[in-house]
Amino acid sequence: MKNENKIKSVSYAKWGYIFILPFFLSYAIFSLIPLADTIRNSFYEYYAFGLKTVGPNWTGLSNYTSLLSSDLPKYAWNTFVMWILGFVPQIVISLILASWFTDARLKLRGKQFFKVVIYLPNLIMASAFAMLFFALFSNAGPVNSILLRMGVVGEAIRFMESTLGARTLVGLMNFLMWFGNTTIMLMAAIMGINPSIFEAAELDGCTHTQKFFKITLPQIKPLLTYTLITSLIGGLQMFDVPQILTGGKGAPDRTTMTLIMYLNKHLQAKNYGIAGALSVFLFIISAILCWFVFKMNTDSDPDGSKSAAKRAKKGGKA
Amino acid sequence: MATLNLKGITKIYPHSGEQKKAKKGQPEKKTNLQVTDEGVIAVQKFSLDIADNEFIVLVGPSGCGKSTTLRMVAGLEEISGGELYIDGKRVNDVEPKNRDIAMVFQSYALYPHMTVYENMAFPLKLRKMDRDEIDRRVREAAETLDITQYLDRKPKALSGGQRQRVAIGRAIVREPKVLLMDEPLSNLDAKLRNQMRAEIIKLRQKIHTTFMYVTHDQTEAMTLGDRIVIMKDGYIQQIGTPQEVFDHPANIFVAGFIGMPQMNFFNARLTAEGGKYFVSVGGCKVELSAEKSKNLAARKVQSQDITLGVRPSHMVLAKEAGNTLSATVEVSEMMGSEVHFHANADGKDVVIIVPTMDSNGVHIDSFHPGDKLNLTFSSNVCHMFGQNGENLEF
Amino acid sequence: MDNKKSSARTILAHVVLIILAFLCLFFFYILIINATRSHAQLQLGFSALPGSSLIDNFKSVINDPAIPILKGIQNSLLVSGCCAAIVTYFSALTAYGIYAYDFKLKRAAFTFIMAILVMPTQVTALGFLRLITGMGLDDSLLPLIIPSIASPAVFYFMHSYMQSSLPKELIEAARIDGSREFGTFNRIVLPIMKPAIAVQAIFTFVGSWNNYFIPALVITSKHKQTLPIMIATLRGADYMNFDMGKIYMMITIAIVPIIIIYLLLSKFIVEGVTLGGVKE
Repeated sequence: MKNENKIKSVSYAKWGYIFILPFFLSYAIFSLIPLADTIRNSFYEYYAFGLKTVGPNWTGLSNYTSLLSSDLPKYAWNTFVMWILGFVPQIVISLILASWFTDARLKLRGKQFFKVVIYLPNLIMASAFAMLFFALFSNAGPVNSILLRMGVVGEAIRFMESTLGARTLVGLMNFLMWFGNTTIMLMAAIMGINPSIFEAAELDGCTHTQKFFKITLPQIKPLLTYTLITSLIGGLQMFDVPQILTGGKGAPDRTTMTLIMYLNKHLQAKNYGIAGALSVFLFIISAILCWFVFKMNTDSDPDGSKSAAKRAKKGGKA
Repeated sequence: MATLNLKGITKIYPHSGEQKKAKKGQPEKKTNLQVTDEGVIAVQKFSLDIADNEFIVLVGPSGCGKSTTLRMVAGLEEISGGELYIDGKRVNDVEPKNRDIAMVFQSYALYPHMTVYENMAFPLKLRKMDRDEIDRRVREAAETLDITQYLDRKPKALSGGQRQRVAIGRAIVREPKVLLMDEPLSNLDAKLRNQMRAEIIKLRQKIHTTFMYVTHDQTEAMTLGDRIVIMKDGYIQQIGTPQEVFDHPANIFVAGFIGMPQMNFFNARLTAEGGKYFVSVGGCKVELSAEKSKNLAARKVQSQDITLGVRPSHMVLAKEAGNTLSATVEVSEMMGSEVHFHANADGKDVVIIVPTMDSNGVHIDSFHPGDKLNLTFSSNVCHMFGQNGENLEF
Repeated sequence: MDNKKSSARTILAHVVLIILAFLCLFFFYILIINATRSHAQLQLGFSALPGSSLIDNFKSVINDPAIPILKGIQNSLLVSGCCAAIVTYFSALTAYGIYAYDFKLKRAAFTFIMAILVMPTQVTALGFLRLITGMGLDDSLLPLIIPSIASPAVFYFMHSYMQSSLPKELIEAARIDGSREFGTFNRIVLPIMKPAIAVQAIFTFVGSWNNYFIPALVITSKHKQTLPIMIATLRGADYMNFDMGKIYMMITIAIVPIIIIYLLLSKFIVEGVTLGGVKE
């Protein structure tokens, strides 16, 4: 007992603060200060005009009003449409695949192979993927070349020049990039359901379809909601794919211009006032979505499997 | 090898809105712990002087504060009040690593990524001991615990009993002044538990150190302890050698907690008549032994309603009715050398232990459910508890 | 009972899965085929067979002074590697601080991180750019690395993993064995967290490798560009006059390393997607 360290008392509370300090310091510097600065800028007339900078002059809410009278609603709508185009097939296909993958009776072969393959696009660089699609679907690209040779179409389809074509391509890429991930999450949730419930349902005479709609779906509802919200947040941030696919122009006629592409445009042009107002607008939407995520994560577990199991127990008793 | 003195050690968990919030939705845990403005009192003025090389067992039901006490000695919990001395030195403010104590956890707490050897060498390495000395000590401890052949394995590859030995090994290589054990046998199955209990007794003879052992199992407490501390709701109920607490339980709680099967309790009447004491229960009136009468008289105990406690092995079967308590056999449990009869006496369950054969190997007549029994009890092994639950004799 | 019906379902499931797998792999197949063909061959239309210009295309890509792709790979590797190391270490550290210790602001800290769990970084991009310009860190790789110290999602993953796999008794045992707090974290906790750290290191590496929005705003000089920015400049260039074989080769260089890493670790990664979320 020679090197007896006298400390005030044997309490480890200070270590908690020391360990979490880097996180909070970094967050405060690189996120909170910028957030405050962003909000502050949104109230100033402050933009680059040629080589000159105008402002900053206090203008109150005028950035917001001019933003709302601009094409902002249109870009919000674009973003939403392209998100839906990807999300609907994503959730439908993922549900079907997840229920197949977890159905032991189905005797699926190569399960692991399929899982690996469908997850692959999730890891691909979105900008390179978009560039690839741009090259593949261009008027003289391989896809048109194949379609022409097979005689499916008489002349090349101008995918990138029609609103529907361009939006569908963005939706398709979002679908391809995310359905594997969602499938794997849903699988985990379904496997979290007490298997004896399915056995009981089978004994009660449930068909496969009934089992899916009456048991699986209600059990994994929390995770479905969670997927919806996080996907909405992802959709809100949609940028890389349409940006590269359309060269930042949102062609045709800015119908694929998303909110973040718009923000990027103002940031590149150093239009700090408008960019600030747009950021605040995005921040408010994000904060609402964050609140839902927060509620879901703190009330139940993240993948919903535990609450699924809990419900399973209740269902079993009823 | 050290003395350990606890002087009025108290643990108070402060009220915090956070904790309540964290537990919302869950049913309130039912404890009888005292709650004050400061918080919940988990351990109340715990005082005990432990001699060098003594084996002390803290025993009690879950939530009685025994583990909290041990963790305060270890330095894992802050001490809210009172003073703790190891070898005469106050260590309230000393970090666990500088207290020269070692601890064996219920879950073993072996480092999963280290081999058995590394696990045992870890505390020594942290003390910058030289390599040869570490090696010598680890091998010696492994030898003592018979785990030498497992030194290169990871904990995952060991059985529960082997893991427990490693955990003990990690504690003893340090040659600590005090060895703390927190329910070390609870995770083992019944057979292994008995085996490890014997191992701990052997270990205790081999190494020279002071033991503090926590358990909820009274058999472990009785077999291992030099002295037993029985706790309930944060308070010490009784401190004594196994024989003392068994023969002279301080109150109803101790009487019921120590001894298997549990002591029988009856509502009875104690009467003092001319220097003599009588206990009547049902139709049975027994004059207490001279020694007990003397004890009661010394404390000027008056006639009163009491709770009478008689251990199952001290119940006596009378041949005939008359000055006896009548009961009906409900269940008989054959234990081999003896039979436990559960009988109903005036709506109360009474357990009686009867040997299956006498010393000459002749089978004693057994009873069957429905048979009537005439019970009485021996006047020098019964226990009288007053209305407050305290033993009236002491 | 109805064997025909169930075998019909099995066949349907296989057909759908094969179509989807085809859809996922088809584009990469064309990519790699086209990367082996010369510009002239590509102009003739699509061919399912590889060409012979793989080496030529590769050489012309790495020798193009306008797009210093080797420097880009180097920058991307540096940023992604540092991010993976920093994110996992500090997220584990933060999670451990909140998991292992009791302190007054513990719950508040946890609640705060959960509240910002999915907050997009884009909404503070404006202030972030102005801040790093003020710090003189614009056109530098540091602002792409340092802020990742605070990664709420990885923190949450680590915290969940600790709850299921790091018994508090282990920390107490280390304390009694004489370990200091940082020592316990580095020598006991990190080795136990290895599976979680590996999974998150991979995801962070890939995420950072693919990141485009912030780097494109921060980096201005050519020799500091990361791969996604270089890919984007392809789109901005006069596309029609570009050597198509070279474009396919560049895309291949950007995504094939990730595909190879993925195929090597696929089982581990696919399991890792749900690892932290599923508690016992």
